[in-house]
Amino acid sequence: MSSRRHFNPWAFILPGVIAGGVVLGVPVVQAFWTSLHRLRLYRLHDQVFVGMENYLRLWQDPLFMLSVRSTVVFTVGCTVLSVLAGLMVAAIMSTRGIRGTTMARFFMAFYLVPFVATQVVVGMLGRLYVWEPEYGLVNFLLSLVAIDGPMWLISRDTAMLATVITNAWRLTPLAILIFYAALATVPDELLESAEVDGAGGLRTFTAIKLPLIRYHIGFVTLIQMTSAFREFDTVFALTGGGPGRATNVLSLLVYNEGISAANLGMANAIAFTMLIIVGVISLAYMRLARLDKAGE
Amino acid sequence: MLAGRWQENGGLAVRYAFLVFWLLVSVLPVVGLVMASLKDTALFQSIPEVLSFRGFTLDNYERSFRQGNYLFFLRNSMIISFSALIVVLVTCVPMAYGITKLVSDRSRGTLVFMVLSTRFLPYVVLALPMYLFFARIGLSGTLIGVILAHLAMQMPFIVWLMLGFFAGIPREVEEAAVIDGCTPFQVFWKVCIPMVLPGLNASAILAFIISYNEFLFAFFLAGYDAQPLTVGITRFIGGADVGAQYGVVAAYGSLIILPIILFALIVNRYIVSGLTQGAVKG
Repeated sequence: MSSRRHFNPWAFILPGVIAGGVVLGVPVVQAFWTSLHRLRLYRLHDQVFVGMENYLRLWQDPLFMLSVRSTVVFTVGCTVLSVLAGLMVAAIMSTRGIRGTTMARFFMAFYLVPFVATQVVVGMLGRLYVWEPEYGLVNFLLSLVAIDGPMWLISRDTAMLATVITNAWRLTPLAILIFYAALATVPDELLESAEVDGAGGLRTFTAIKLPLIRYHIGFVTLIQMTSAFREFDTVFALTGGGPGRATNVLSLLVYNEGISAANLGMANAIAFTMLIIVGVISLAYMRLARLDKAGE
Repeated sequence: MLAGRWQENGGLAVRYAFLVFWLLVSVLPVVGLVMASLKDTALFQSIPEVLSFRGFTLDNYERSFRQGNYLFFLRNSMIISFSALIVVLVTCVPMAYGITKLVSDRSRGTLVFMVLSTRFLPYVVLALPMYLFFARIGLSGTLIGVILAHLAMQMPFIVWLMLGFFAGIPREVEEAAVIDGCTPFQVFWKVCIPMVLPGLNASAILAFIISYNEFLFAFFLAGYDAQPLTVGITRFIGGADVGAQYGVVAAYGSLIILPIILFALIVNRYIVSGLTQGAVKG
C-alpha cells in the first residue's frame, strides 16, 4: 500500500484549478476592476478610476431598470413554462403502457431536438417562420380555429410572450428528461397501494409522485432559472432586444452598452451586477431547497 | 371489468395523442425550416405552401455554399469545437477524478462548491473582459481566444458531470489495482477511465454540441477569419447580397441545424445519460 500513501490527488486537480483560475477567475476579477473605471472601447489606454460611480448611475438609469424588469419577466416566464411543460410530458411518458416501451424511447429522442438545436438558428426560425404575423406557423394554427393572431414580435405587448415561449421551447427537453428519469425511481409498491385505495391517475401523481420528486423539481427550476437569466443567443437572433426595448434583457444591455455604445466601464458594472444577482439568488435558493446537501 | 379495460385503452389513446402533439411541437418548426429551404421562391409563403412539395429546388443550398462561404465557417466551427473539447477533457477529467479522491471533506466540499457556483455564471461577465484582455495581448479575433472562452464555459459543467460518474466506481476495484502494483496514474488511466467510458462519451458529446451551437463568445471574440457557423450566418444574412431572400436563410439555417440534430439522434443514448447524471442520483 506504499504507493497509495504517495498518491496525491492534487496532482490531478491542480492543472484544472489553474486553467479555471485563468479562464474564469481572471475575467471575473477584471470585470469588477473595469466596472470601477471610466473606460471607452476605442481609447483603452485612457482608464480613469471612478469608484462606485458606474453602479450608482445604474440605479438612476431608466433603461437599466427596464432591462431588469424584462429580465425578471423573461426568467420567471421561461422557468415556469418549461418546468410545467416538462412535468406534464414526463408524467404522461411515465404512465403504465408507455414507460419503457420502444415508442417512449422514440418520442424521447425527438423531444430532445429543441435542446440540441442551434439557438441563433432557432431565433431566426422563430422570427421568419413561427411568429411571422401573416404567414407564420402560430398564426396559421390560430386561424384554423378562427382566431386572428396578434402581431407577436412586432408588437410591444406580445413580443415578450413570444420570446419567452421560444426560449422555453428550448429549455423544456432538459426538464422532461430529468423528471422522466426521476419518476422512474418512484417505487411501484407505493403506486399499487394507492390504487388499491382507489386513487385515480391524477391523484396518485399529485399526492405521491410529485412530493417524491420535489428535489428534482427544485434542481431543474434552479438550472432553468440561471440559464434563462443569462440567455443571449436566442433573444439576440429573435428580436435583437426589440421592438423598441421590449425584450432588451440584461445580457443584451451589456452588449449594447459595451460594444455598441463603447462604454466598457458601465457595461462591466451591469455584467457584475448580474453576477451578484445570480449569486445571491442561487445561493439562497440552494439553502432553501437544500440542494447543496443533496447534490453529492 | 370490460368498462375498466375500455377506459384504460381509451386513456392510452388520449395519452398517445398528447405525446404526438408534443412531438409536433418539438420538430415541426425545424421541419418547416427545411421544407422552406427547398423552395424556389424568394418570398414568404404561407404554411401549407411551405409544407407542400411544389417548386422544389436546391438552388438555396448552392448559394449558401457559394456566397455564404459555408465550408469555411464549418471548418472554423469544427476547429473550435474539437479543440475546445480536447482542452476541456484534458483539464476537467483528471480534476474531477482528483476531487473524488481527496481525503479531506473540507477541501472536497470547497472544490465542489466552486464548481457548482461557477456553473451559473452569466456569460457576458466573462465575454466582455475576455474581449478586452485578448485585445491587449493580441489574441482578439483568433481561434485560440474563442477556444479559451469555450473552456471557461464548459469547465464547471463537465467537471460536475464527471464527478458523478467517477463517484460511481466501487472503491474495491481501485484498491485491488493498487495491490496489483499499479501506480496512481495507471489506476486512473487503465482502471478508472475504462469504467467511466460511457460517462466520458456522454460528457464529450454534450461538450461538443454546446460548443458547436455557441454564439455569444464567438460573436464577441472572433474576427472574420475565426467566425464559426453561428456567427457566420448572422453576418451573412445581415449582408446586402442576401437581404430578404428567405429561401437562402432557411437553407443556411438547415445546414447548421440538421447536422447537429442528426448527430444528436444517433448518440441519443449518451445525451440522455449525460443530462440525467447528477440530477437523479439525489
